[in-house]
Amino acid sequence: MNILISDDWLREYLKTDANQKQIAECLSLCGPSVEKVENNVYSIEVTTNRVDCASVFGIAREAAAILPTFGIKAIFTDKKLLPLKFKNKVDYLSVKIDRDLCPRFTAVLIKNVQLSDSPDWLKQRLTDVGVRPINNIVDISNYIMHEIGQPVHTFDYGKIGKSKMLLRTASKGEKITTLDGKSHILPGGDIVIEDGSGRLIDLAGIMGGANSAVDSRTKDVLLFVQTYNPKNIRNTSMSLAQRTEAAELFEKGLDSELVSIGISRGIELFSKLTGGKADKYILDVYPLPYKQSRITVALEFIEKQIGIKFNKDEITKMLTSLGFEAKWNSNNLEIGVPSFRSEDIKIPVDIVEEVARLYGYFRLPSQIMTGTIPEPLINSPFDFETKIKNILKGYGGIEIYTLSLVERNSIYTNNILKIKNPLGQDSEYLRTSLAPSLVKAAQENSGEKEPFHLFELANVYIPNNNHLPWENMSLAGIIVNSTFLTARGIIEALLSELHFWGKLIPEEGANYLPGKRLSIKTASKQIGEFGELENGYYYYELSIEDLRKSSKEIGSYTVIPKYPAQIEDLTLSFPDKTKIGEVMETMKSSEKLLIDVQLIDTYKDFISFRLWYQNPHKTLTNPEVESSRNNILKHLREKYGAIQQT
Amino acid sequence: MREEILSLKNQAISQIHLAKTAEELEEIRINYLGRSGKLTQLFKNLSSEQIDEKKLNGLLLNEAKATLTTSIASRKNSLKESARDWFDPTIPGIKPTIGHLHLITQAIDEIAKTFIQIGFVRVRYPEVEWDWFAFEGLNMPKDHPARDEWETFFITSAPDPKFGQMVLTPHTSSGQIREMKRVKIPPIRMINIAKCYRRQIDTSHVPMFHQFEGLVVDKDISIVNLKGTLDYFARNFFGKERITRLRPFHFQFTEPSFEVDVSCGICRGRGCKLCKEGWLELGGAGMVHPTVLKNGGVDPDKYSGFAFGWGVERTFMMKAGLSIPDIRLLYSSDLRFLKQF
Repeated sequence: MNILISDDWLREYLKTDANQKQIAECLSLCGPSVEKVENNVYSIEVTTNRVDCASVFGIAREAAAILPTFGIKAIFTDKKLLPLKFKNKVDYLSVKIDRDLCPRFTAVLIKNVQLSDSPDWLKQRLTDVGVRPINNIVDISNYIMHEIGQPVHTFDYGKIGKSKMLLRTASKGEKITTLDGKSHILPGGDIVIEDGSGRLIDLAGIMGGANSAVDSRTKDVLLFVQTYNPKNIRNTSMSLAQRTEAAELFEKGLDSELVSIGISRGIELFSKLTGGKADKYILDVYPLPYKQSRITVALEFIEKQIGIKFNKDEITKMLTSLGFEAKWNSNNLEIGVPSFRSEDIKIPVDIVEEVARLYGYFRLPSQIMTGTIPEPLINSPFDFETKIKNILKGYGGIEIYTLSLVERNSIYTNNILKIKNPLGQDSEYLRTSLAPSLVKAAQENSGEKEPFHLFELANVYIPNNNHLPWENMSLAGIIVNSTFLTARGIIEALLSELHFWGKLIPEEGANYLPGKRLSIKTASKQIGEFGELENGYYYYELSIEDLRKSSKEIGSYTVIPKYPAQIEDLTLSFPDKTKIGEVMETMKSSEKLLIDVQLIDTYKDFISFRLWYQNPHKTLTNPEVESSRNNILKHLREKYGAIQQT
Repeated sequence: MREEILSLKNQAISQIHLAKTAEELEEIRINYLGRSGKLTQLFKNLSSEQIDEKKLNGLLLNEAKATLTTSIASRKNSLKESARDWFDPTIPGIKPTIGHLHLITQAIDEIAKTFIQIGFVRVRYPEVEWDWFAFEGLNMPKDHPARDEWETFFITSAPDPKFGQMVLTPHTSSGQIREMKRVKIPPIRMINIAKCYRRQIDTSHVPMFHQFEGLVVDKDISIVNLKGTLDYFARNFFGKERITRLRPFHFQFTEPSFEVDVSCGICRGRGCKLCKEGWLELGGAGMVHPTVLKNGGVDPDKYSGFAFGWGVERTFMMKAGLSIPDIRLLYSSDLRFLKQF
């Protein structure tokens, strides 16, 4: 949480010559982080474990420990408590309290208050920290909360039925209207206060009830300071979405000792600002007062964790300045934890943190660890992915990253993971195919007239009953303003560079134009597809792991032939609708001296091929080539009705 | 022969100076230097001369030939452009189509490389993960206020009785316990780079982004070692003029915890839309909490460790020379953007 602290208010508790910039810098380096200083107001980020710093009082205490480590004098000027008489029974209020819900409950009756505007100095202080002044009674509560970090509430004493309070958990469905006029139906388990006439008058720790609120006719008030079980407060505040400052403090676990300071400041301010007079007895139900927790830490442990040697006195001095009791017993440090740190400091490493941060992380040396280097990951996928990206880049591909969270699309089936709390309908599902994302990416560039090729490597998420989904790393690409042959060429080149063994087989599939889709197959399994989509883009998608399994890192070596190949071109004509890919397969399988064949030209129904004939053991003679050629032509004539053109 | 050479040379030079077109010059060249040109003829006659003469005249002939060749060339250049053979060398060449790897890929490769150099092992863990690995095992019990820091996406799916709800990993830290369980016995030096998801969107946040998580677990690992590792990275990745700082922070899964900042490269420390007072938050770091080690099956009495998790996009944008004011541009597919890198 971020809090605002004005410089003038801070200096009421902190006596130092440090200027604002020094205070901000030193705090940031050794304690809570000061995000900015603007118009004499510090904006400070207080982490969830340091709720003791969420106030003027807390920051002053922390700064007084930190500034001296930079050689700057600083003293924390604690407020003196009024001489108060705490009693666990008083005549003006009878209470029944569950101590698990409320570890400490204090209240005091203040009579004859005069409602009016607050004095200017107080209004100014509240305004500085972003709180709107309302009237003296409301302002006192806000003032105390910002000053010491303890929420305080004021009831109109006259509105508490029979001067009785029962603090209990709410049952599901109970209703309460809070001060801000909002009506809530409680989820159950919420801490509430019921008065003697059976009405709920307080949503404890979050906001008071409207029915017991102070108004212009209020004469006597009940000043109310407590600590609550943080879990109950958080549950209620989260489920009602009623995130008040009080709730944000209580849910982090407040120091029950702070309550006495809260009530003392309250009585003081009420007397000063409203003329109200407090009863001489303060109701204080505090069955288990704070018992100091103790931790023992070895010097060696501190030094090993931080990585440098320490002087024992140095450690004692730092911890004492932070409010700890610290005593060495030979090389073991016995530590007493102050109440305001008891939730945060529980185990030896917590002490390590206090020592290290006060010493200053920025003062520590830096040194990379020595020691054994771990074994590499077996079957690591990363090099293969990088290789694919680089190959596609070499072909002019442009890599993109698109969001895994997608909107509903007809390509996806119902077997898809849905987000419970999406940011919007456009990002409600976890994609099972990259196609819609890539089509969208292509469309974003619809103004482009030149050919372009976008590709992405990303997971798709295949649901797996109630187990974690199968995250399948996939490669997909979209080729625009191009031709089938050019696009297919990219896939073929990629597969060939990867030394992939498998085939492109024409098979129909959803979303592709009829006859314009190829399955990318290994022996039996389809590992990907390529084709022309219904919208005219060329698209491919492959599973990376499958591709890796059916590829080779390095090509295999075959002996370079000693004797040259005979090369000749052959032009043939075929009947309509002959598949040239199949023709070329037939040529290769029908003649063993034919080591390669390539398509070099097509004109009308004339198809020209270049043929390589080779015998590894000798140079072929013309009659031998002729006999091979005749063999090929015979097969093509019989199978496809091919006619040779001369 | 000597006079003959000199007079031929002078004769040719004067003709070259008078020539008006490239064609005329070519004629002169053929006339003197062509296969049966006058000067070429003299070369042929050399063989019938005496040794001494041969040597001297040979030198003279070569000199005359060189002079004529350069004279013709320089005369050609001095002719009006229209009279020259026209060629324009300023026309741009025919380039192969240039492909582009995305900035994030470049960033990830560079980050991975930097850590692999000091013995880290790159891994990847699930993006859709159980609550236990993302939170509870990292010392963040259900309903802990610290969870507010992560605006987490949840999956509509039945919760696992042991591991809780299915979530989209809001940080790469969920890989910490997975890595400890994989390796079992330290040493561990992990670099986990993966997609992460949080419910937020503005100029410096996208709901999907990338993080890289380092985890080191071994005997006697200290804060000094963490600093050494982060400094090594900063020096190698950002260069000299960028500075980093460590601030105390709090994470449930590390103790002590730190926030690592680097000075903003866009405003050079003055403060701008993208940074806070001139500093950019790289991400958190800390010493692995004993409870987390225990949850990963590692004995906290024997081993200690550190971890850090930073945003890839943020980290890369803070690198020298790059000023992309809106992080969302990285996830757009605009060719005009993509082709810049």
